[in-house]
Amino acid sequence: MIRAQGLIKTFEGQQEAVLKGVDLSLNDGDFISLMGRSGSGKSTLLYLLSTLDRNFEGSVLYDGVSIKEMGVQEIHRLRNEQIGFVFQFHYLLSELSAIENILLPARKANLLDKKLSFARDLLEQVGLSDKADRLPHHLSGGEQQRIAIARALIMQPKYLFADEPTGNLDSKNGEIIFDLFSQFNKEYKTTIIYVTHDQQFGMKAHRRILINDGIIDKIS
Amino acid sequence: MMFLSLKHLLTRKKQSVLILLGIIIGTSAYVAISGMMLGFQTKLMDQLVNNDAHIRISAREELLTSESLDSFPEAEHVFWSLPPSGRKDSAKIQYPLGWFEKLNKDHDVIAFVPQVNINVIFNRASVTVAGRMIGADPLKQERVSNIQQYMISGAFKDIGTSGSRIILGKALMQSLGARQSETILITSGKGPSMPFKIVGVFDTGSKNIDENTVFTSLGDAQKLRGSPSEITDIAVKIEQPDLAEIKSAEWKTSSHEKIMSWQESSASILSVFKTQDIVRNSMTISIIIVAGFGIYNILSILVTQKKRDIAILRSMGFTPNDIVSLFFNQGLILGILGGVIGLGLGFIICFLMGQIEIVPGRMGSSTGRMIISYDLIIYVKAIIIALLSSLFSSIFPARAAGSLDPMDIIRSGGQ
Repeated sequence: MIRAQGLIKTFEGQQEAVLKGVDLSLNDGDFISLMGRSGSGKSTLLYLLSTLDRNFEGSVLYDGVSIKEMGVQEIHRLRNEQIGFVFQFHYLLSELSAIENILLPARKANLLDKKLSFARDLLEQVGLSDKADRLPHHLSGGEQQRIAIARALIMQPKYLFADEPTGNLDSKNGEIIFDLFSQFNKEYKTTIIYVTHDQQFGMKAHRRILINDGIIDKIS
Repeated sequence: MMFLSLKHLLTRKKQSVLILLGIIIGTSAYVAISGMMLGFQTKLMDQLVNNDAHIRISAREELLTSESLDSFPEAEHVFWSLPPSGRKDSAKIQYPLGWFEKLNKDHDVIAFVPQVNINVIFNRASVTVAGRMIGADPLKQERVSNIQQYMISGAFKDIGTSGSRIILGKALMQSLGARQSETILITSGKGPSMPFKIVGVFDTGSKNIDENTVFTSLGDAQKLRGSPSEITDIAVKIEQPDLAEIKSAEWKTSSHEKIMSWQESSASILSVFKTQDIVRNSMTISIIIVAGFGIYNILSILVTQKKRDIAILRSMGFTPNDIVSLFFNQGLILGILGGVIGLGLGFIICFLMGQIEIVPGRMGSSTGRMIISYDLIIYVKAIIIALLSSLFSSIFPARAAGSLDPMDIIRSGGQ
């Protein structure tokens, strides 16, 4: 469970806060969309919740432990074992094949052998089992994003954070990505939190959080 | 992170090969140049140390002045219209027996030989050549210098203890046009010429010695000089040649004689060696620095290009140290690989240079091939230089990569 209390985030050189006191609880198995206009603070909130940004006022607690109190090794272990992240621009490592990209977090955790068959399962689930050895530049944008999702899930994390995962894809590929999120949420009980501009995609989440001008405007 | 580091290197083959070439050229140049120069230096050093005494005790050369004769009682009645001048005649070691006793008792001394060194003129038919005669006991002389190994005909001991026999340098033999067993005339300038029979020829490779030096027995040299029982020099061999300078300084404090270590008498050659070493090291270090800058530049560019990768790796739980390793390993791999290939290439170049035929006895060995040093220390130094330059040039971009904040990269869109 993740609990955020009184989150305030102000960027250096700016007088006005991007987040102005956000309180939020994410339960295990949640499927949540974060929506709002550009500059409303939804991506900033996602980075704070996902531990990537620890420079803020307030607190983010993972199962009751504040991420600010965690040491360097602890926070990196948390990111490696319990958190998956999907970016808008895929961010695959261009030197590595599809399956090598998927196995990167497992390589960090020294679980390469144990995770190999699961990586192949994931490749099959994202419909790319025949493209395991392809380099990213030989994959389409949609395929690269599916590989990025498989990579985020290889450690079977408790939480999956996604920053506009369909923002750079056409609607058909967007549908595929959403179906995958839905499938993993059901199958692995992964808590999924994603930021989106797409109303249709956002409305498919079980809980929808609307952020407006740095505060939570509505939860439905 | 080694896997990712290798992937980076293999993906950028052209850049990796270029850096590798820089390190290989630097390392092999160091090995080859050092091998050649140290080989040459070792040969010369061997000649400097072993062809002559480690320490030479010589009669002090005194110049006469108006005060030189003051010790005589009649001196107070003498008023010089033209005071005495020039070198005092008949320079000799003042107390040879005292020296022999001192040297016999000194544990650092391996051997010593009393000598008579005189300037002479050689005559054969109409040919006249100026040179130097060294009179010494052959057995003692052989213990002090390695003259026997340069004998190309006859044996050094053939000069005996009397009998007016000489051995002489090959170049001097050619100048005189003499042949073995022939008798030539030698004069010291005082007294009549004396006949000496040629019983052997040496070739040390040192022009200085081969063109003007003859060896004879101590007694015969003393006879030619007209000063029986006097000696002009004592050549000393000590246990540790490197300490000759210290030993000679110690003896100088309690002696009137002129005492010189091999380092002092070869100071000009040793300074040439130092200059050679400076040139060799600066040249090689320059090459390695250029290769190091290559690594630094390419890794710095790579860090900038791979900011997105750094951000994604950090989001997956890779630590700043992992990121440092990712880039540092690349420098390490290039350094080790380039260094090892460079050592191999350097060895091959040395081997090929060692096949070059040159005039025997000069820079070369007695087989007529160039002398190359394969000293292990050259190879150890070369690999250390290659590794250090690679590590120094990769640590800075690697640390810069490790200190990048993933959020800054993500917010700037990976730029």
